Amino acid sequence: MTAGVAALWSHRNSLRILVKRDLAVKYQQSVLGYFWSLIEPLGMGAIYFFVFGVLYSGDTERHLGQAAESYPLFLVTGIFAWMWTSSALSEATNALTGQSRLITTMNVPRQVFPIGRVTGRFAEYAAGLPILFAVAAVYAAHGKIHPGWSLLALPLAVLVQATLLVGLSLLLSAVNVLMRDVERFMRLIIRVLFYATPIIYPLSLVRESALPGWVKVAYELNPLVGIFQLQHAIWYPDEFPDARLLATTVAGSLLALVAGWWAFRRLEPAVLKEL
Amino acid sequence: MAPIIEAEGLGIRFVRNRRRQLRLRELFIHRGGRRAASGQFWPLRDVSFTVEPGETVGVIGRNGTGKSTLLRLIAGVLIPDEGRIRVRGDVAPLLELSAGFSNDLTGRENLYLVGGLHGLSSAYLKRHFDDIVEFAGEQVQRAIDTSVRHYSSGMKVRLGFAIISHLPHPILLMDEVTAVGDAEFRKKCYSTIDRLLAEGRTLVLVSHNEKDLTRFCRRGLYLDGGRLTVDGTVAEALDAYHAAVPR
Repeated sequence: MTAGVAALWSHRNSLRILVKRDLAVKYQQSVLGYFWSLIEPLGMGAIYFFVFGVLYSGDTERHLGQAAESYPLFLVTGIFAWMWTSSALSEATNALTGQSRLITTMNVPRQVFPIGRVTGRFAEYAAGLPILFAVAAVYAAHGKIHPGWSLLALPLAVLVQATLLVGLSLLLSAVNVLMRDVERFMRLIIRVLFYATPIIYPLSLVRESALPGWVKVAYELNPLVGIFQLQHAIWYPDEFPDARLLATTVAGSLLALVAGWWAFRRLEPAVLKEL
Repeated sequence: MAPIIEAEGLGIRFVRNRRRQLRLRELFIHRGGRRAASGQFWPLRDVSFTVEPGETVGVIGRNGTGKSTLLRLIAGVLIPDEGRIRVRGDVAPLLELSAGFSNDLTGRENLYLVGGLHGLSSAYLKRHFDDIVEFAGEQVQRAIDTSVRHYSSGMKVRLGFAIISHLPHPILLMDEVTAVGDAEFRKKCYSTIDRLLAEGRTLVLVSHNEKDLTRFCRRGLYLDGGRLTVDGTVAEALDAYHAAVPR
């Protein structure tokens, strides 16, 4: 694995080129360009705010705790991070199938293709962060949130999330070459994950629900749960995951990375023949 | 000096209609093994040879005897199932006429993309941009800012060759490059390849064009049914080829 990582590092320039290419292709044909990466999550946030912040506002506020008075911020924080997750996963799935021309003529470590997709979507996420901070600044000015040390949860969240996404993208991109069904399947999976992760609702809602114990345990095994708790903890320190959840999340993400890397290496010969 | 390309018992196995037979479990746990050799075939097997730096090698054989597969293995875009191949030095491959261009990008963007992926720095590409485009010819020069989708195959191969010929890599791999392209471009190709070879580069050329083979290559590998049957001078390899294919 170390040799592979070294090879990957020596090709970081290829990674940069691919990411730039992806972003250029994505935005060259749209007038609003980069703003699309903001409009979409903000629009989604508005919808969920309407449903849960307005229509069901009573229920929502009871469970939000610290975030009760700044639900839009809670939503936007989660949705920005979610956009990174969902677009990275769906685009990484066809990272190899969609670029077979390059892959079959260019001798670069094949890992750069799925990792490039994750990186590209991260760039969009990073580009949206100023908006997130602007929204937070408004709430902070009104005394609704009190950001402090908890801001450090952001780099931690990003790190863990990147680990998980890279691992999953390696696995998905390789398997998708051999079984194209994966691509379709992922659309459903991503939708399920969205609701199976505390993005638009707080984790306490699940913990305090009447669900059977084993469902709650299974729910928290999903590394995304801890990641999104970390994301929310940026503004709401109470949301910071407890030791057990944090350990599950970090271990799950690392496991995903190792498994993804291993599977990718293992499938690589077959993948190259197939392309 | 150590050989620059070293192949030892090289073999690769393809499976016909694999998608229908695939089971994930089989793929991970044991590949091959218990499963009967249904629909499997070896485009290449037991191929061993070494190439010294500066050698010029022509790979000869009938269609479907594994020539292009061999080139892909040397380029590292296929991974062998048996044996191993060791390549000491960077490879400048022109394996496909399209050279890996993306249709939805312009010629300019593709030049930076493909050149960059081959390891050229963007500063180098910027400096040599005009050279490269000029080499590719007037037609490409005019169309450099339109998308490659609208290029003819001749234009693509010109641009591809222009990029590859600017790579400093010591090993050149070429698969039927001169098959497309008009006489003028061919002349340009020849003089460029001559120049690169004079610098002491190593060439592995796949071609059906005897003139090309005898012009550039001194050594010949003759492949038959995925096996290396003749490893000698290019004349010997061509003789074997003619013996197999009556003219």
